[in-house]
Amino acid sequence: MKRTVTALVLFLALLVLGACAPAPTPVPPAAPTTASQPQAPTAAAAKLDRPIKVGIVDTYSGPPAAFGNDALNGFKLALSEINKNGVLGQKIEFTQRDDKYAPDTALSMAKELVMQEKVDVLVGTINSAASLAISAYAKEQKIPFIVWTAKSEKITGQDGHRYVFSTSENTAMAGKAGAIALAKKPYVKYWIAGEDYEYGHAIADSAWNNLKKLKPDVQLMGQTWWKTGEPDLVPYLTQIMAAKPDAVIFATGGAGMTNVLKVAKSTGLSDKIPMWIHTATDYSVLKPLGANAPEGVMGTMDYFYYYPDTPANQAFAKSFQAAYGNPPGFAAFHAYNTAYFIAKAFEKAGSLDKEKFIDALEGMKINSPVGEIEMRACDHQAVLPIYMGVTKKDPKYDALIATDIVPLAGQDVMPTCDEIAKERAKQ
Amino acid sequence: MAFGQDLVGAVTSQLLVGLSRAMILFVVSAGLSFVLGVLRVPNIAHGSLYMIGAFAAFTITALFGQALPGFWLALILAPLAVAVVGLILERALLSHLYQREHLMLILFTFGIMLILNDLVKIGWGAEYRSIVPPDNLTGSLTIGDLPLPRYNLFLLIVGPIVAVAMWLFVNRTRIGKISRAAAVDREMVGVLGINVSWVFAAAFVIGCFLAGLGGALIAPTTSITLGMDRTVIMDTFLIVTIGGLGNIWGALIGSLIFGLTQSLGLLLWPQFAVVFPYAAVVLVLLARPKGLLRSVW
Repeated sequence: MKRTVTALVLFLALLVLGACAPAPTPVPPAAPTTASQPQAPTAAAAKLDRPIKVGIVDTYSGPPAAFGNDALNGFKLALSEINKNGVLGQKIEFTQRDDKYAPDTALSMAKELVMQEKVDVLVGTINSAASLAISAYAKEQKIPFIVWTAKSEKITGQDGHRYVFSTSENTAMAGKAGAIALAKKPYVKYWIAGEDYEYGHAIADSAWNNLKKLKPDVQLMGQTWWKTGEPDLVPYLTQIMAAKPDAVIFATGGAGMTNVLKVAKSTGLSDKIPMWIHTATDYSVLKPLGANAPEGVMGTMDYFYYYPDTPANQAFAKSFQAAYGNPPGFAAFHAYNTAYFIAKAFEKAGSLDKEKFIDALEGMKINSPVGEIEMRACDHQAVLPIYMGVTKKDPKYDALIATDIVPLAGQDVMPTCDEIAKERAKQ
Repeated sequence: MAFGQDLVGAVTSQLLVGLSRAMILFVVSAGLSFVLGVLRVPNIAHGSLYMIGAFAAFTITALFGQALPGFWLALILAPLAVAVVGLILERALLSHLYQREHLMLILFTFGIMLILNDLVKIGWGAEYRSIVPPDNLTGSLTIGDLPLPRYNLFLLIVGPIVAVAMWLFVNRTRIGKISRAAAVDREMVGVLGINVSWVFAAAFVIGCFLAGLGGALIAPTTSITLGMDRTVIMDTFLIVTIGGLGNIWGALIGSLIFGLTQSLGLLLWPQFAVVFPYAAVVLVLLARPKGLLRSVW
């Protein structure tokens, strides 16, 4: 009996640990990146003596796998286009590894890809902590690492360095975009609620700090934090309704988004209290809810397959749909752009040299499905637009869509190069 | 938080939603507790069966329509589907292992959990799923000026029905009585000429049915996703532990403690409300290490 209980306790402890890693909270959307038309190499260009090898570390099991697979599809689509003409006479090849949403696994996978597979570039992952772990390793080994989905602003902010890049939008950008939109509204008393993990706190802090700067008279009435994967949010939301704030900032990601939107609708919170959530307008968030998602929720988002309604974006969405049977999500968009950044940078570098690749990538511009995107040289963060919108039913679509979309240019929501330099100097 | 009328309203609202949360926890942990009591198997895979129940409910509503027939059919068919999975697991695997020590059984059921997880991923994919209840269960009633979602009201009705059904089963049916006897002394029951093996199979299937029912019941309020098994298995194990291992009424009391400390804790200290249920668990175990009610272990 005693042994059994001890065993049970140990076991549950293990499960808790396990739950921390594969916990149910994926990352919100990321920001757009690149994608240029494949450019014909100039006649004088150097030839590479072997294919370019890209090592992907991302999550292909557990709840975040939906985003890992979306990113992989976007990357594959880009490669199918790029490899038609090749890069300096060679193709781009890739190997992917499943990090199971665990930073330690991600790190060992990255090491394996570098040491065994001898990859030229690492890319990935949806997990911010995993991305930071790989980033530290990339710095030490001098291997370029491009983050394509994770959203922690630390990646290209305080923990940034020469060898790490991000083609995804981050919490600094999303929080500021949300703050710009909220500052124009008359709300004063705010409540903050979200999932108790890195991304939740990062996005909430960023939105709140920016909002306080833009509109100093706002007040924080209180905060609610629930554990990731919390299946039933009704008690949390009824308590917020009882407190009667003017508006609520929600900080959730992944499956937690669906949960919070469902309960906002069933409790009527979304009708009574204005709410903002980064990625609330995301197709992958709204699609599972069908026509039953709440209308009128304010959301910021880094990619829509239906906006901007330009030929380039339509073409991307159409070929993605044809290849994989569903429209591209934000992860696919970022991974697609990442492939074009890689191709173009190697082309410009003229060799497989990693340092030359990095020099080439700094400040590089590509034509993405949503227009030109620059890889900012000072912090290696892609300059991506963020779209503010409101959820609305539209009979043309199988899920709610974003309307009244206001795009915010990347440079307006990103920290300045000076601010980044100050952050990094603190380290 | 204002005082007076507002506070009364807020407490009432939290009490009701907390109770409804407790009802789902009860349905799932009653199944876990029943299996623990009769079979002495700490079934770590119980959460996976709950997850399968939720995914099955999704498929059934997708086939029959989210509206009328779909949801009600899902409430019946999804738990039955999970019960069939349970029967196969019990006959093919577990029935050969009852003699093993508990540590082995924990590892074994953990293995089953991993396998079921992968099967769910293969079968349903990694995307989030969602279902909606029928129209008459969507939206909210207003109590004072605070909402009580109709679906939570529905849970408040279902929970007691399940509790009464379990009571009738255990106390009023032959197989229920044999299960209780087997929980106390399985060898003696065998000596009396009763086929204990099939009693165990039946008990396991009932446990799985309840897991599946819990999954189908939670489905309309949440996203149906991989990983939902881990959250629930943690909470339900704590619930059956504070209630008294193997005691179904203990599971009910444990669920009430869990659900109510969470929802009322939110009024006290919203920022750190997650700690209240776990603090309650610690307090209960300090005071009564074997749980509140008599454990059959």
